[in-house]
Amino acid sequence: MTIAQNALDPITVEVVRNKLEGIANEMQQTLLRSSFSPIVKEGLDASASLFTVKGETLAQAIAIPIHLATLIPCIARILKTFPLETMQEGDLYLMNDPYLGGTHLPDIALVQPVFAKGRAVAISATMTHHQDMGGMSPGSIPTNATEIFQEGLRIPPLKYRDRGVVNETLVAMIRQNVRIPDTVMGDLNAQLAACNVGARRMAEIVENFGHDQTQAIFADLLDRSETLTRAALRQMPEGTYRYVDFSDNDGIELDKTIRFEVAVTIKDGTLSCDFTGSSPQVKGPFNCVPSGSLAAACFAVRAITDPQIPTNAGCFRAIELTLPEGSIVNPVEPAPVNSRTATIKRITGCILGALKDVLPERVPADNSGELLALMFGGRYANGRAFVTGELITGGSGAGLASDGVDVIETDVTNCMNLPAEAMEMETPIRVNRLALRPDSGGAGKRRGGLGLIKEYEILEGEVTFTHRGERHFFAPKGANGGEAAACAHSVIHRVSGAQEVIPSKQMTTLGKGDRVVVETAGGGGNGPVTERTRTDILTDIANGKVSPVKAREVYGLTEPV
Amino acid sequence: MTASASGKRFEIGVDIGGTFTDIVCREPGGGMRVMKVPSTRKDPSQAVIRSLGLMAEKWGLAVGDIDRFIHGTTVATNAVLEHKGAKIGLITTSGFRDVLEIGRQYRTNVYHVVLEPSTPVFLAPGALRREVPERMSAQGAVVTPLDGAALLAAADELVAQGAQAIAICFLFAFLNPAHELQAKALIAARHPKLMLSLSHEVDPAFREYERTVATAFDAYVKPVVDDYLAELEGGLARSGVNAPLQVMQSRGGLTAAQIARERPVRLFLSGPAAGVIGGRIVGASAGMHDLITIDIGGTSADIALISQSKPMIRPEGIIGGYPVRVAMVDVNTIGSGGGSIAALDASGGLRVGPHSAGSEPGPACYDRGGTQPTVTDASVVLGYLDPAFFAGGTFQLKAELAHQAVESVAGPLGLDKAQAALGIHRVLNAQMAEGIRLVSVRQGVDPRGYALVPLGGAGGVHATALARELGMTRVLVPRIPGVLAAAGLLAAPIEHEVSASFTTPLADLDKAALLKALEGVDAKAAALIGAERVTPDEMTISYFADVCYIGQSYNLEIPLRLDAQDTADHLYRDFLAAHDRVYGHAVESPAKLVNVRTVHQAHGSEVLEEMRFAPREGATEVGKRHVQFAGQSAPVPATIYDRDTLPAGFRFTGPAIVQQSDTTTVVEPGWSGLVDDAGNLILTRQ
Repeated sequence: MTIAQNALDPITVEVVRNKLEGIANEMQQTLLRSSFSPIVKEGLDASASLFTVKGETLAQAIAIPIHLATLIPCIARILKTFPLETMQEGDLYLMNDPYLGGTHLPDIALVQPVFAKGRAVAISATMTHHQDMGGMSPGSIPTNATEIFQEGLRIPPLKYRDRGVVNETLVAMIRQNVRIPDTVMGDLNAQLAACNVGARRMAEIVENFGHDQTQAIFADLLDRSETLTRAALRQMPEGTYRYVDFSDNDGIELDKTIRFEVAVTIKDGTLSCDFTGSSPQVKGPFNCVPSGSLAAACFAVRAITDPQIPTNAGCFRAIELTLPEGSIVNPVEPAPVNSRTATIKRITGCILGALKDVLPERVPADNSGELLALMFGGRYANGRAFVTGELITGGSGAGLASDGVDVIETDVTNCMNLPAEAMEMETPIRVNRLALRPDSGGAGKRRGGLGLIKEYEILEGEVTFTHRGERHFFAPKGANGGEAAACAHSVIHRVSGAQEVIPSKQMTTLGKGDRVVVETAGGGGNGPVTERTRTDILTDIANGKVSPVKAREVYGLTEPV
Repeated sequence: MTASASGKRFEIGVDIGGTFTDIVCREPGGGMRVMKVPSTRKDPSQAVIRSLGLMAEKWGLAVGDIDRFIHGTTVATNAVLEHKGAKIGLITTSGFRDVLEIGRQYRTNVYHVVLEPSTPVFLAPGALRREVPERMSAQGAVVTPLDGAALLAAADELVAQGAQAIAICFLFAFLNPAHELQAKALIAARHPKLMLSLSHEVDPAFREYERTVATAFDAYVKPVVDDYLAELEGGLARSGVNAPLQVMQSRGGLTAAQIARERPVRLFLSGPAAGVIGGRIVGASAGMHDLITIDIGGTSADIALISQSKPMIRPEGIIGGYPVRVAMVDVNTIGSGGGSIAALDASGGLRVGPHSAGSEPGPACYDRGGTQPTVTDASVVLGYLDPAFFAGGTFQLKAELAHQAVESVAGPLGLDKAQAALGIHRVLNAQMAEGIRLVSVRQGVDPRGYALVPLGGAGGVHATALARELGMTRVLVPRIPGVLAAAGLLAAPIEHEVSASFTTPLADLDKAALLKALEGVDAKAAALIGAERVTPDEMTISYFADVCYIGQSYNLEIPLRLDAQDTADHLYRDFLAAHDRVYGHAVESPAKLVNVRTVHQAHGSEVLEEMRFAPREGATEVGKRHVQFAGQSAPVPATIYDRDTLPAGFRFTGPAIVQQSDTTTVVEPGWSGLVDDAGNLILTRQ
């Protein structure tokens, strides 16, 4: 090479960057491939990432945004507890405690320092949502928890492996505290396998390009993403933009709504989010530790800047967070946190919502912002037990130039639903209907995406039913004069003929012949209703997305259809 | 000359690409002849018909002497990519009209907020979807009988709206197809010309969204494929070709055009599958059975894995960005190719791709208006490509335009042109190497034990650099990589695959019931193969079972050993072994059988040409030029070889460039080359 040793060759920088992304994706493949539990295999609820020795994100796999960001405070805490200079080759660290950097107890971070020629050169990390972490209910996400101790086993930063020797005390402790020890250990081994892949290939890179050059390249890659991100932010109008939105309730105090208030300031290439004015922490498990707000802000930064910017810690340097202590976004121990997904989604929605007026091309109207969690558990008439659940979403917000998308995952989550045929083959439940929900998208020049209607009928036995909803009382708002979407709405139709409206969150028992009809929220509309073209209105009517009645009432269609 | 007079029997393989239509002709006992003619995009069959005249002119081949005519087609794929399929209607179970549009609610781009639909709504928007009363239970029992009047009313409406084909997808039809069959009979009686696609025939497996998508895609391309193949068959017949037309399917097996028209959803990877089969045959001719093929085009590169001479088959592919659950050769496309553009980002960093100059305007050196530097321009600057000998000299490259384009990034990077061009190659090779690595990792395979087989025109330029990057030590350059897909057509087996849902815990497997289920699929496969002109003694029948752990919902295809004492036990052991290979672990938990499958194959020739390889007369070395390689500070002289003149047993060492009309192979320093008896060029890293 003609390139001087101390000057960074831009080509080598780009070659290394491509390799880092390849390694992160290879780790991700290994993680998904060798995991055991359905939640990882089917729901893809596991993520891999590479970090510098200072704990800065170097490259991420294409995975779950919440995980990718919440690994950051986990690694910071591990590095604080076990300073880099004390780490040894063959060490592995793990933790899950939300109050020490984690997110909720089922998500375990496994972290491996990478060594090349005896020196620590990087960190390889994975996070998996484990099927069970003990606590008061199977699956470790009890909607009725009122303190974290009920939610499962809390693990502070600990050494899982010490110079190649597994910490059997810790393993025994974990196994003793979870309901399905073999599955949990299997998934943990998959995390280990993925970390190993990252470590092996990172070490190869360092050996190929040399320690000093590699470290300089890592620093350069982060600086470049920072430069690009800040440059993008500088092009946005400076100012402070506010947004307020609400969650229905915390599942414990059903009449108490939860307020989210954010002031997003764009100034001099930074994005600051101040959550002063948000509700105090709540009794139920909807509290969100700071890692969750960080995940929301990281997502927002990546969403509003150029997707071609390589995602790494450089992008996140532009973020500043103010999270009032004791609030819903920064609860005090031992507040329960397991259902924080709903809260992180609302926080993300608020940050984006604050920017939708000032960045109308990049930020759409509000998304449904809900991931309805349903759980059914019971026994067949012959006594065989079953348990199943699914996560259902609503519509996305309309963009300035495009209608929202019907029933699609948005922001920090990306889970798949459960096919009706899969549910019926595994449980005595019949799905009577799976349909788009007409008129649920917010009206506007661009219509918001529709929510969904799904009807379940119990065919046998008694079924314990959990409904963890959102958006039952606060509709997703429109943008640029567009209208709000329809709220979510769920009803139990008892075989007796009685109807019970579900107040967003509920646990109850269903019997044979009882039906549950859930309707999810749509996305907000964008632009004035008066500007929607006649063709678009008629097409919506023809496709069943807007009823003729609504077309007349809301869009002012005068001709008969 | 007349057909009967000559008594010759020619086999023709035709692979239609975006730019060129490749034609390969084989004669028993003779060599292989190849021809490239420009494709006729509007009506691709025109190029084929025109080539018949050229074959007569150039090769003295009489159309009546053609014994087999085999075709790889992109018509189905293009119809999807360009949204130019037929107008179709979709009929579903009452309550499930919107399954096609709702999908699995997954979004493709994680960080996007202004979203695009992830489901192929364009196939049948709401106005073209109807639901009718009918219902089967999860056990396949009738819950609600089919309402025939409602069904006919729905079909009438859809026809009135202009539907040319109708897809029918009823819940649990894969367990009990009675209602779909009833619907077919009713509609056929009323609308005899209307084309129908039934979900239990297209994709008999659970998960209603995936089955609906496959069925709707089948209906969407059916009228288009039908027209096209009818046109082609008619054209061939009018030109005097008596041989039946055969078409390559996505799994890598051939079928009669007549059958292909009935199940067009199986044609999406027709062309790429032929390339992989070609790679397999070439590998076998060189005694190599573990191969990774890479076909580098203008905008993308296709990567496929062949293990123990078997192309990997995946149960579901991605077409136009949508998952389509039809078994196909596992060809993975990455968005890097010869036309990938090198540019500087706002922080001064070098990026290669994802933008591409494609074939229009193409690289700067094509002199068609492109000014941004592409990978191909870098290849010219590095001396890898001879501007005067591109595509066998049929297309003159403008070297100075390549130099200018590369200079435009070299200056700002503070590099000289050669180093910048090398940089473009290094970045592209890193991207492609990561792509190859991911494909291998997903199959649980270490690429270092595999040989790299470059296909298409541009693969040879990158092959040794890529292999070095991946730690691979062998590269196999086919004698005619540029037309390997067309050649693969001639070697492929005729194949029919039929599967059926058969759900049972392995522990309770009733062998009699299993045999009965296999009898059912065998009968269907036999009927299909009966329509091919194949004599039974050429046939191989193999059986497979899709198996998964109880509680899991993804499955693995495991060969069934029916002759074994304990079929269930063998199946379980084989499942555990496969699970361990692919997923890295295998606990002894209970497993279940999900689907059974039969594959009827009539074997292809397994050799590309029967004549012993003979080089053309002439000098093997045709010159030297200065070429810049990675890891070297300055260009070094490399020997230029003329591939056509290299005899079997010929050896040389890199640095070298091997030129032939359809590709250029760059041999880095540290590699040596050998021409084997079949004429393959085998490169080995020392």
